[in-house]
Amino acid sequence: MHTLKGTKYAIFFGLLPALIIYLGIAVVPIGMSAYYSFFNWDGIRPLSYVGLENFTEIFKDSIFWLSVKNNAYILLSGLLGQIPVGLLLALILNRKMKGAGFFRTIGFLPVVISSVMVSLIWSTVYNTEYGLLNSILGAVGLDSWQQNWLGDTAWSMLSISVAYIWQNCGFFMVIFLAALQNIPNEVNEAAELDGASGLRKVMRITIPMIRGTILVAVVFSISNSFRVFDLIQIMTGGGPAHATEVMTVYMYSNAFVNMRFGYGSAVSVLILLFSLIVVSVVNRLGKEKEA
Amino acid sequence: MKTPRNMKKAVLIGSIALLTLVTAACGNGNNSSDGKEEGGKVTLNIMHPWTSPNVDNEVYRARIAAFEKLHPEITIKQDGVASAQYKTKLRTLATANNLSDINVVWPGADLKPLVDGNLLLPIDSEMANWSSILPEDALAGFNQDGKQYAIPTKQTFVDIIYYNKEMLAKVGYDVFPDTYDKFIDAVTKLKASGVTPIALGNKEQWPLQSSYLSAFQERFVGSDFLKKVMNKEAKFTDPQYVKAIGAIEELSNLKAFNTDANNMDSVQAQDYFIQGKAAMHISSSTVDSRIRITNAEGDKYGIALFPSVTGGLGDAKKSSGVVQFGIALSSELKGKKKDAALEFMKFFVNEDLYKELISKGVVVPAKVDIPADASEYLKEMMALTGNGTSPVFDSVIPTQVTSVMQNGLQAITVGRMTAEQLAKDVQAALDNMK
Repeated sequence: MHTLKGTKYAIFFGLLPALIIYLGIAVVPIGMSAYYSFFNWDGIRPLSYVGLENFTEIFKDSIFWLSVKNNAYILLSGLLGQIPVGLLLALILNRKMKGAGFFRTIGFLPVVISSVMVSLIWSTVYNTEYGLLNSILGAVGLDSWQQNWLGDTAWSMLSISVAYIWQNCGFFMVIFLAALQNIPNEVNEAAELDGASGLRKVMRITIPMIRGTILVAVVFSISNSFRVFDLIQIMTGGGPAHATEVMTVYMYSNAFVNMRFGYGSAVSVLILLFSLIVVSVVNRLGKEKEA
Repeated sequence: MKTPRNMKKAVLIGSIALLTLVTAACGNGNNSSDGKEEGGKVTLNIMHPWTSPNVDNEVYRARIAAFEKLHPEITIKQDGVASAQYKTKLRTLATANNLSDINVVWPGADLKPLVDGNLLLPIDSEMANWSSILPEDALAGFNQDGKQYAIPTKQTFVDIIYYNKEMLAKVGYDVFPDTYDKFIDAVTKLKASGVTPIALGNKEQWPLQSSYLSAFQERFVGSDFLKKVMNKEAKFTDPQYVKAIGAIEELSNLKAFNTDANNMDSVQAQDYFIQGKAAMHISSSTVDSRIRITNAEGDKYGIALFPSVTGGLGDAKKSSGVVQFGIALSSELKGKKKDAALEFMKFFVNEDLYKELISKGVVVPAKVDIPADASEYLKEMMALTGNGTSPVFDSVIPTQVTSVMQNGLQAITVGRMTAEQLAKDVQAALDNMK
């Protein structure tokens, strides 16, 4: 009994430093943000309490809802783009092939490059004058397909989504690759003996075996999609005319550019709320299926 | 298994104490590096936006180096921030009450919150150093409630039209069009001949607001309109102001700008113009050094102001200008550091600085003799801009309203908004301001 008690305290004190750091850089700032959201504050003059006014203003703000819509766009492109592409890459690289290590590195590279670089690379690709994409289209005679990729409101979100998928699919590839390698060989062999191969094996054996990992990846992808910021801030700054505005960019420009820290904080509280709701819904759906 | 109550309490108090310690330590870490006074040595921090390779930036950095040479006991620690991000960083540091010892600030609407927050040191007692060379209107933007907070280093006119003489001559304009109708005619003809009429780089959103709208509003409604709006004596929705915004709508409808105007930044648009891909570029007097003074083919380009408008209430000779790069000190400075910072200011902004800037082709707000080696281009620029100054939009209108205007102007260029709608939105943003 006594020894057990001792271990408990040891565990507690062992965790304490991490707990303090976590409280200090995550929980306390969230609390402060929530607190500021009830004030009208330019950051310099004294705070003035406005109650829920910031929130009522946000709910009437069409640009905010536009940014929510764009966040949903990003969320879907994560779920329908990053995860399938990541899974496909993982399935391809999981086979015994020449240079697998090399290709894995290539696939993972976008994840390691800083977002700023990724944004600049894609800005160059999409450039109307000398960009790679329009040059290729021109070279193969598809001039009519050339577009003002980031500047045309009809194309800008799609262009950003492609860059977003490219940037992150390597991350999911690595997660899936690790899961695939944990599938015991016997299972695969048994499946093959039973005549399952190719797509059938993937759908019936492989994917069910890594269901848990896929669920984790889905949650990751969702929470990433709410945090997307640097990519858009650098490529378009939310423009043209708010066409690529997402919640984080909107929060940033309100708080730090327009000096409305209260309003910006209120937006950040809503970001937190929305992501918690979506993630908990997904978690629940995942659990129900398992049960 | 029962945990003693006291123990729980002790752990709780302990963790709170630790947490405070950690956060407090972080806070102090920042301050202590700010200003150490070790045995007579003083370190001063300066934050400035002089990072890009402009001629005037080189002048500023050289003066900092010269000061350090002259005062070995004073170390100047520079924090150079790219100019597009500078204002944001300045405001964020102001929020955290963490300004550098020496700061570069903007006049008017940008300065006000810093003064309201008591973050800047009034320098009235030092003004004798500059009163003989700086006229009152150069200092006015940095004066709030009768107190002076900063000294400007240069004067920027934001609405200079640079034009390719050859291209305009080809469509029949040997001299730059002197009326709005002729200007639109030139744009139409240029477009028809397959040339992009105007190179615009509006990704950072300020060019349409600062360079274009400031010029248009002067021609359509005159210099005192923005002040009237701020005093609630006029509204953005006044038909004449809507016409000023409408000029941008008209240019967009004529497809006067390059297609990727919203993805190009201002420097890329200059390149585009210099490479001969467009006939005109509207920007500040600062870029004259790049387009003409240091350019071997500088003679190809002429400068002009936006032409007069029939029925317009303003003055076609006025150029929109601001004094820039005000040098201001933090109000937290005391004792030795304060003396050192004032010493720096006296050295940094003096007659020599203005003369060096002039000889590099930069317009300055000071009344100093123009050195013999000043470029012809500069003299031309000074003649063009010397007939009165009109206010720049964002130097009068608060940032959050300006940002509605900027986004709206961008929306107009992609056909998502009309001038009337934008005028309404901007007026509403101003009315809602708390």
